[in-house]
Amino acid sequence: MKAPGAATATAHAAAGARRPAAPVHLERLSVRDFRNLAREDLLLPAAGAVIVGENGHGKTNLLEAIYYLQLLRSARGARDSELVRFGADGFHLAATGDFPQAREVRVGFARQGARKKVTHDGVAPPRLSDGLGGVPGVLLSPRDVSLVAGSPRERRRFLDIALALSSPSYLHALQGYRGALARRNAALRSGGRRAGAEAAVAAWEPSLAAHGAALWAERLAWVATHAGEFTRLCAAIGERGSAVLGYTSRHAVREGGTAVLAAALESQRSHDLRRGLTHAGPHRDDLSLSLDGRELRLYGSAGQQRTASLALRLLEWATLRDAIGRVPLLLLDDPFAELDARRAERVLALLGEGGIGQAVLAVPREGDIPPDFTRLERFRVRDGAIEGAS
Amino acid sequence: MSAIEDLALELAKLPGIGRKTATRLTYHLLKQPPEASRRLAGALVTMAERVRSCEVCGNLTEDAQCAICRDPRRDPALVCVVEEASDIGAIERAGEYRGRYHVLGGRLSPLDGVGPDDLAIDALLARVRGGGVREVILATNPSLEGEATAVYVQRELKAHGVAVTRIARGLPVGGDLEYADGVTIAQALSARREMP
Repeated sequence: MKAPGAATATAHAAAGARRPAAPVHLERLSVRDFRNLAREDLLLPAAGAVIVGENGHGKTNLLEAIYYLQLLRSARGARDSELVRFGADGFHLAATGDFPQAREVRVGFARQGARKKVTHDGVAPPRLSDGLGGVPGVLLSPRDVSLVAGSPRERRRFLDIALALSSPSYLHALQGYRGALARRNAALRSGGRRAGAEAAVAAWEPSLAAHGAALWAERLAWVATHAGEFTRLCAAIGERGSAVLGYTSRHAVREGGTAVLAAALESQRSHDLRRGLTHAGPHRDDLSLSLDGRELRLYGSAGQQRTASLALRLLEWATLRDAIGRVPLLLLDDPFAELDARRAERVLALLGEGGIGQAVLAVPREGDIPPDFTRLERFRVRDGAIEGAS
Repeated sequence: MSAIEDLALELAKLPGIGRKTATRLTYHLLKQPPEASRRLAGALVTMAERVRSCEVCGNLTEDAQCAICRDPRRDPALVCVVEEASDIGAIERAGEYRGRYHVLGGRLSPLDGVGPDDLAIDALLARVRGGGVREVILATNPSLEGEATAVYVQRELKAHGVAVTRIARGLPVGGDLEYADGVTIAQALSARREMP
């Protein structure tokens, strides 16, 4: 994956020159048999578009389809087979436009054999993971409140996706870590009380420790870089208290990762053998989000949790922008539904600070369109069919 | 079942051969004189009956010991550990290595139910305990599984007072930096050497 590395270097150069980054532009989207969308072809203006449709008619599915071209899996964590339209054999998505790695990105999934194929300008990357990030974008949705109110798993997923899409070394470490973790867990379960089981488990620990330490280092660096901005964003959206972003782990992650994790894995080994699961490592960590010293997950009001989740998405957007040196797509799935008008206005102003590129906004009714977006071309979605409304 | 289907079905079980190729091969053999098929069948039977694992290193051989283990010019103090017997061919073609081998017969792969007991690790330890081995070179693949297998074998050998080394990894010779993948370049950079 040489392209993302090179892109990171140019991103820093561009930031130094203070030249505004060029926005990603999705010109043409084609969707086949994805969720309830049978066959849709859309031409999207550079500024973006508004999708108007009642809930359940497919506007979220359209945004999910666009996002799928970046992550190569569902933004909502659904299985690929669940994304195939009822009765179809598979789905296919294609995007043409101005993207960092290619002019055309395609991805197809066949139910038969659960096969997935990605191409960039017609060429399949050597590994599926090399095809990540084809259509860079960030998705904001009402579900995001679970980033704050949900389990630590939600926040780890947020962090893993944000960092894997912006750092090739993080992606590599994440894949290595997950691979080694699955194998150590399998060794733990097959080991039982057999003699020598410990040694068979221990063989996976050096890779686990090395990759885990790399994850720690990049996660800590990200938190350190963005903690101040998180506080500022929450205040700017309208939070009166002081919001703080941190990283929590039961390990001494700041004191040199590999040796710390290797020692923790070793001391937990016999306990892990009894339970059949690895208990030490970054896959048990969490982002901590607090307001005036109180954990937002437990004590935050619905409005405070919404604010913090929006701030996290804005950080994700900035992280991606800085890594690729381009303004990512902004996919807005009725994100201001549960926000009062003043806060929604401020969020839009914050997005404007960095320069909004192309935005695709989905709302249930025309009246829900914020003033900044009323100029945009409108599409109407009804029962999985999309038509131009203007 | 007809004789034609029968053969096509057997051929299709081979790696890299699908139904179509298997059928083509079958019809090709049918066009040849019967003698050609008899020779092929004979070669298959002879191979299956004669070829076995070397009792010392696990390499493929037709005798009790393989040609490398019997060769007095090969250094018995140097043992190179590989995953499969086919890896020996690759190292031998390089023509550089003058020691002997040990075939594990696979790699640790708990997701497929392959544990240390399924590999020829005890045989390797017995060889080292038998004396005369100075260095064990771990030449398992640079994959997640190959790496863990190397770690496991290294730890088992620790108590035996023998030097254990791991083959290096990095850029292929004659290759172009521009075409190497990022992970390989990162590893080549971290394993860089000072030039004398």
